[in-house]
Amino acid sequence: MRKVLRNVGIPLLSLALLFGVWQAIIVMFHVNTYVAPRPWAAITAITSNWGTLWPLLLGTIRETVYGFLSGALLGIVLGVVMGKVAFIQKLIYPLLVLSQAVPSIALATPLVLIFGLTIKPIVIIVAWIVFFPVTVSIVDGLSHVDHDLLNLARVYGASKARTFWFIEMPAAVSPLFSGLKIGATYAVTGAIIGELASSTGSNLAEYQQHANANFNTAGVYGTTILMTVVGISWFLIVVGIEIWATPWLRRTTARRWGLRSLRRS
Amino acid sequence: MPQETLLRLDAVEKRFGDTVALSPTSLSIAEGSFVSVVGPSGCGKSTLFNVIAGLLRPDGGEVTLRETAVTGTTGHVGYMLQKDLLVPWRTVRDNITMAARLTRRVTPEDTAEAIRVAERYGLGEFLNHYPKALSGGMRQRVAFMRTLVTPHQLLLLDEPFGALDAQTRLEMQQWLLEVWRESGRTVLFITHDVDESIFLSDRILVMSPRPGRVVADFENPLPRPRTIDALTTPEFVGLKAQIMRLLHGGDHA
Repeated sequence: MRKVLRNVGIPLLSLALLFGVWQAIIVMFHVNTYVAPRPWAAITAITSNWGTLWPLLLGTIRETVYGFLSGALLGIVLGVVMGKVAFIQKLIYPLLVLSQAVPSIALATPLVLIFGLTIKPIVIIVAWIVFFPVTVSIVDGLSHVDHDLLNLARVYGASKARTFWFIEMPAAVSPLFSGLKIGATYAVTGAIIGELASSTGSNLAEYQQHANANFNTAGVYGTTILMTVVGISWFLIVVGIEIWATPWLRRTTARRWGLRSLRRS
Repeated sequence: MPQETLLRLDAVEKRFGDTVALSPTSLSIAEGSFVSVVGPSGCGKSTLFNVIAGLLRPDGGEVTLRETAVTGTTGHVGYMLQKDLLVPWRTVRDNITMAARLTRRVTPEDTAEAIRVAERYGLGEFLNHYPKALSGGMRQRVAFMRTLVTPHQLLLLDEPFGALDAQTRLEMQQWLLEVWRESGRTVLFITHDVDESIFLSDRILVMSPRPGRVVADFENPLPRPRTIDALTTPEFVGLKAQIMRLLHGGDHA
């Protein structure tokens, strides 16, 4: 109970602090509502337009999730191949760095030219941002497996495949989640960049620009809050999966249910 | 108790560049015996082990296990190091069955055997624990159980208790003797610690560096079973003095 209070209560407190400071600044400096709304006005701008906002929010969530999943999958596959084949690692690494040096906003327009004003360029941009930390973390994880442990597996006469599956891959799981968490926080940013370039007619980024054009400052802030909520939620979901998938980091004994009991080995 | 030869080395040698890590060495280890290898750092003890385990291919000579040549191949010995090398993501039980998991599918018999061994040697309550919840001594016990449940007759232990404090080490030595006696395995044991080698072994090989080679081969006269009292008998002290003289090159002569 105490733990729950600490793990949930303190983050809620910091959230309240944030809104409190926001409110205080507006009141103290007599900020005009056209420049910045009070927190409550921003929240009302969400709730009173929920019918319009909900489908748009759903769209952003879909782009974020699709992009994240494809980026994570690509990142894992690429990371494993690079981690296991030295030649490919040398070959791909410069391209990997290059890919992230390209400003993702500058990537959006060419992608829209190729794929049209659809969800595809958006998903690709999200995946583009997500795969990088995932790949780097897996390559790192695979290269730091204890050499003596690999020798032990060799002494036992273990096959390469089993050594990979039972030693190397599990050893890379913790680093993998570091990469996934970084990817999760950036995913929604990618989705919004994509939405700005690929105006599919109705999406959250366009709604925000509309609100801005109509001097609906509360709407602008409300949309920002929604985008942030998507980012935080996705991050928390990934953290939840991490806690479930890596029980050995937090627990002293194995759960009765979990990865290990699902898969008999 | 003279028994037939389990392991035989014929003129095995290993070089790293210009350094002779192990000059041509021949020896044979009797089935069921406990043999220690003592020597200072860099005397080729670990090289000797890695050649026997098959991690290193010797530059010359042959390793034979029960009349079968195993030179440069792996999969024929149990192997344990000073580092416990338990995987943190597996429970004690699943760490004990690791060797099976790495070579084939783990059977219910494997798991039953892991549970039996853990319960027999005092870790039954910890089967479902992750290694990080255990003390250093307990982790080394698990590591040894992992070695013990392999089907291999020959167990190579490379300074398995080197990182433990003196008190725990003594407990572990007594424990190892008990398990060894019950298991009927053959143990080849590397150590820095002369007391440890005498307390545990039937036979002690003394190695010396540059080039790495076996310089002496002692039969241990101490009767078994041994208790801590054996550590202070005249036979023990006499043997220790002989080994120390070899290790420290006449300074004590």
